[in-house]
Amino acid sequence: MEKEAIIRFERVTKEYDGLVVLDDVSFEIERGKFYTLLGPSGCGKTTILRLIAGFTEPTKGTIYFHGKPVNHVPANKRQVNTVFQDYALFPHLNVFENVAFGLRVKKKKRLEIEEKVKQALRFVNLEGYENRSIQEMSGGQRQRVAIARAIVNEPEVLLLDEPLSALDLKLRTEMQYELRELQRRLGITFIFVTHDQEEALAMSDQIFVLNKGKIQQSGTPKEIYDEPVNRFVADFIGESNILRGTMIEDYLVEFAGKRFTCVDKGFRPNEPVDVVIRPEDLEITTRDQGKLQVRVDSQLFRGVHYELCCYDEDGNEWLVHSTKKAEVGEEIGLYFDPEDIHVMRISEDDGEGSDEK
Amino acid sequence: MRGNKKWANAYLVFVFLILYTPIIYLIYYSFNSGGTMHDFEGFTLEWYKEVIGDTRLWIIVLNTLTIALLAAAISTILGVMGALAIYYVKKRQMKQLLLTLNNVLIVSPDVIIGASFLILFTIIGIQLGFTSVLLSHIAFSVPIVVLMVLPKLQEMSPTLIDAARDLGANQWDVLTKVILPFITPGIFAGFFMALTYSLDDFAVTFFVTGNGFSTLSVEIYSRARQGISLSINALSTLLFLFTVVLVIGYYFISQKSSTLYGMRGRRK
Repeated sequence: MEKEAIIRFERVTKEYDGLVVLDDVSFEIERGKFYTLLGPSGCGKTTILRLIAGFTEPTKGTIYFHGKPVNHVPANKRQVNTVFQDYALFPHLNVFENVAFGLRVKKKKRLEIEEKVKQALRFVNLEGYENRSIQEMSGGQRQRVAIARAIVNEPEVLLLDEPLSALDLKLRTEMQYELRELQRRLGITFIFVTHDQEEALAMSDQIFVLNKGKIQQSGTPKEIYDEPVNRFVADFIGESNILRGTMIEDYLVEFAGKRFTCVDKGFRPNEPVDVVIRPEDLEITTRDQGKLQVRVDSQLFRGVHYELCCYDEDGNEWLVHSTKKAEVGEEIGLYFDPEDIHVMRISEDDGEGSDEK
Repeated sequence: MRGNKKWANAYLVFVFLILYTPIIYLIYYSFNSGGTMHDFEGFTLEWYKEVIGDTRLWIIVLNTLTIALLAAAISTILGVMGALAIYYVKKRQMKQLLLTLNNVLIVSPDVIIGASFLILFTIIGIQLGFTSVLLSHIAFSVPIVVLMVLPKLQEMSPTLIDAARDLGANQWDVLTKVILPFITPGIFAGFFMALTYSLDDFAVTFFVTGNGFSTLSVEIYSRARQGISLSINALSTLLFLFTVVLVIGYYFISQKSSTLYGMRGRRK
């Protein structure tokens, strides 16, 4: 596949009244992929979206569109369209006119407008709703109108600003499938902003995890989940047990007062590290067979699995997802494979970053 | 609780009675053939005939309407521009300052506004008459329009403007295709408020009107001073009816726009 960057950020910084919301960020967006900007509120993800859309200009750095700098190109001159969090549909126009808005201001011919609007509405399964007013549409339908209004302009990149956050859980899951499907059919680039890690993992080709105006990690959902680069990412994506430890040598790590073989290498001898073990990788066994000995503190039935909260002798908390049941107060053993241990280098701003979830 | 409500209702009726009795009294005697406002002698439309036959009065009515419509139209345009300007001011303090300056003009007594306009017009040498009355009416109507339009603008989600820009709209498109349609109810409300304020203004007009030019309220005042004639009653009745028609018209327009805006209108 040809690797063609549509959008490129080069050392982009954005400040609002001296407050840095985006700090020296560089990345590339390729054609035809589904990207997700993931992070807690205030991490800068919406700012990136507004910079791409052209609602705001970077304080420093350059944004390229097909290799040309576009810092000062206003929003109405960019081949990008946005689906807003509150949909931002025009209340005085009906569904048809809302979708036709972009074509009308571009002075397209009447027949062309009619045909394209019909086609866009068919794309989002809203045929026959042309003459409805916006107030008559449900939340999910408004969402679709907003998407149709954006894609009817045939943008190269579609920006979606937390578009599912206002929907209830069932509808949200449905729309996740639909959006993914829509992206495949249209073949254009989607940039999706969310703070919901499950959404991000389910839909994306590529995820950018952001915190405090910096990209913490970028990669496929599997890379991000299995190989988080630091404490923040491990903590934000899924649930994890994170412990301070020491990398004794290659393939040998020490934590919770014991040494374990692992599959990580390339650290300095005796380098302090963060160790991650996902709750679902911990298996319950008898006390003697376990690599770790813990006492069950509480247990919740989560439907698919039990969620156990355990403590070891040093007082470290261990979260375990198990299909097997345990008794509260019982001493149990935890077993895990060397591949389940993930060792991360401690980054500079880690101390504060970790407790921000 | 129920007893309380009964008293509340009685009180309400009492207040309305006090407010409306003089008007009804005035209307009642406008049909009196006796020529006074105490003994009702017989029903007559004499006074109405007199009013309708009075050409000078008709010229004044036309003057009043012309002034009111012109002042309302011009002040609506200026007021909408002013509201937009205040809306686009980024600094909070500046915004507050402008809004306060606007509101001071609304609450300050008509007499002071009238007197200051009189001074202003004499200093810069504008002849007292049609122009001076029109200018002063525009001046005191603009703040009212601003006050009616601004809440509508603030009700509008800023992402609507972003969305329009995103879809390729230039500044002019944004204004005419998004902002103005959205605030139309506010513009109508502002226009009607300006119209009624201009129609019934007495104090300001009294100061800035000159020889040979008069509006209805000033004319009624000067006629009432000259002596009692029931034609004034008839004239006032006609004016009162006209106002009622205006209010009903406004009601229907706002009703229509609230069905147009669906839930948004109902919520208010």
